[in-house]
Amino acid sequence: MSKEEAIPMKNETSEQKKVNRPKKISKSQKNFMISVVSVLAFLIFWEIISYLQIINPLFISSPIGIIQAAGILFTDVSFWTNIRVSAYEFAVGFLLAIIIGIPMGIFAGWNHTFNSIINPFVSALYVTPKVALLPIIIIAFGIGVASKIVIVFLMAFFPIVMSATKAMSTLDQNLIKTARSFTATEFQIFKTIALPSTVPFLLNGIRLGLGQGLIAIVVGEMYASTAGIGYQLTNAGQNLKTAEMFVGVIVIAGTGVVLTGLVGLIEKRFSSWKPE
Amino acid sequence: MTQQKLTSQFLDVTYVNNKTGDEIVALKNINLSIEDGEFICIVGPSGCGKTTFLNTVMGFIKPSNGTILLDDTKIEGPGRDRSMVFQSPNLLPWRSVLDNVMYGIELQKRVSKETKALALQYIELVGLKGFEKSYPHELSGGMQQRVNLARALSVEPSLLLLDEPFSALDAQTREFMQKELLRIWSQTRKTSIFITHQIDEAVYLADRVFVFGARPGHLVEDIKIELERPRELKVKRDARFTEYVDRIWDLIEKESSKQGFS
Repeated sequence: MSKEEAIPMKNETSEQKKVNRPKKISKSQKNFMISVVSVLAFLIFWEIISYLQIINPLFISSPIGIIQAAGILFTDVSFWTNIRVSAYEFAVGFLLAIIIGIPMGIFAGWNHTFNSIINPFVSALYVTPKVALLPIIIIAFGIGVASKIVIVFLMAFFPIVMSATKAMSTLDQNLIKTARSFTATEFQIFKTIALPSTVPFLLNGIRLGLGQGLIAIVVGEMYASTAGIGYQLTNAGQNLKTAEMFVGVIVIAGTGVVLTGLVGLIEKRFSSWKPE
Repeated sequence: MTQQKLTSQFLDVTYVNNKTGDEIVALKNINLSIEDGEFICIVGPSGCGKTTFLNTVMGFIKPSNGTILLDDTKIEGPGRDRSMVFQSPNLLPWRSVLDNVMYGIELQKRVSKETKALALQYIELVGLKGFEKSYPHELSGGMQQRVNLARALSVEPSLLLLDEPFSALDAQTREFMQKELLRIWSQTRKTSIFITHQIDEAVYLADRVFVFGARPGHLVEDIKIELERPRELKVKRDARFTEYVDRIWDLIEKESSKQGFS
C-alpha cells in the first residue's frame, strides 16, 4: 500500500473518533502540547539568531548545524568508543554506589551506633564538592577509567546513603508497634515495614545520585582523560567545533532524561497502591 | 462456675521519666479478674492509666510489681494469645485489605490455606466482603477500623484488646461501629477489654465497666451493666442506661476534682 492511500485512511479513523468524543483534550495532553510548542519555538529562535549572526554562531552553533554534526559523528567509530568508555565508567561507579550505599544507609538508619560512627563523615562529605578531590584522585588512580569510576562513585554515593538513612528514620512507629503486638521479630519488622517504606526514598536518592554521577563523568573526563564523552566534548570545544560539542552535551542530557525516566517507571511499579 | 480468663494481682506499673529521671507511678495496686467471654470497658479521666493497663496486658510494658495471669499463664511479653485493635488503623498502605488482615497471621508464621480462609471469613464478618483487594487509602476511616478489627480477630486470640478504636471517627460512624462491634462480638464471644473515654460507649458495649482513677492509676469501681443483649442503639435512651452513665460520670467527676481539675 502506498503512502498516499494510507494517510487519508488515518484521517478517516481520527475523524470517526472525533465524532465519538467531540473535542476532548485532557489537561495533560494540553500541557504536553504547550511544552512541545515551547521547545520548537526555542529551536526556531536559536536557529534565527544563529542565522542572522546576532550572536556569533561560533559560540552557539545552531540546531541544524548540530543535527549535521551529529550525523557525521554517529558514523564515526571513535565517537562510539567514547560513549562506550563513558558508559562503562558511569555504570560501574554508579552500581558500586548503589550496592554499597543502600545497605550502608539502611543499616545506619536501623542501628544508632553505626549511624553515629559514619554520620560525621557522610554529612561532611555530602556537602563537599567531590570534584575538588579530582587532582588527588587522578594522581592516585591515573587518567584512565579507574579515576572516573572513583569520582562517579563518590558523587553518587552520598545522596544515596543519605536518602536511605533518612528513609529508615521516618518509619511509622505505630506500624512497628502493631507488628510487635503480633510477636514480630526485628527481622520481620525490617522486611515487612522498613524495606517497603524506604522504596520511594531510595528511588529518590538514586535519582539524585544519577544527576551527580553524570556531572562526575563529564567533569572527570574534562579534567584529565584520553577517551570518553567528556573528553570528546572538551576537545570539540577547544577546537571551536561548537556543533560537535553540543552533540556531546545533548547525548549526556538525553542519557540523564532516559535514566531518570527509568527510575520513574520503577517508582510507578512500586507505588501502584498509591492514590492518584 | 465460670472460668477466670484474666487476673491482675497487686499490679503496679512505674515509669521513669526520661527527662527528669523522676519515678512516676502509673498504676497502683490493680486487683481485678475477668471471666471468659466477658466484654469489659475501662473508663476514667485522662492520666488514669487505662491505656497503660492495656499495654501491660499486651505485654508492651513490664509491671514493676504484681502479676497478670492470662489462662493461668503469666504475661511476660506480647504473645499469640492476645491481639490489639489500635486507636489508629495502623494498616500497611502498600498492602490490600486481605494482605493487611493476613499480616498478623504472617508475622506469627501461620500462613496456610486454612488461615487464609479464616482471614476471608473475618473480612466478611466485619462487613468488608468485596473489598479484599482494595487498598487502605480507598477506604473510609470506619472501614479502615474494620480491617484493624479483622486483623486482630483473625489470629484467633484468647483475649482481644481494643484501645479507643472509635475515638477518631465522627459521631455518627462511631455509633454505627459500636453496634457493629456488638454484632461481631456476639458471634465470636471473644473475651475483650475495651478502653474508651466515652461513658455511653462503655455502658452500651460492656458486661462490666471498670472505672479508673488517676494519680496513681487505680481501680475505683467495678460496675456490672445489667442491660439485656442483644442491645439496640435505642437502649441508650433507656432510663437504666442513663442511670449507669450518670453514676459513672459522678465517679469520674469525683476523681477529677480530687486532683483539682474541675
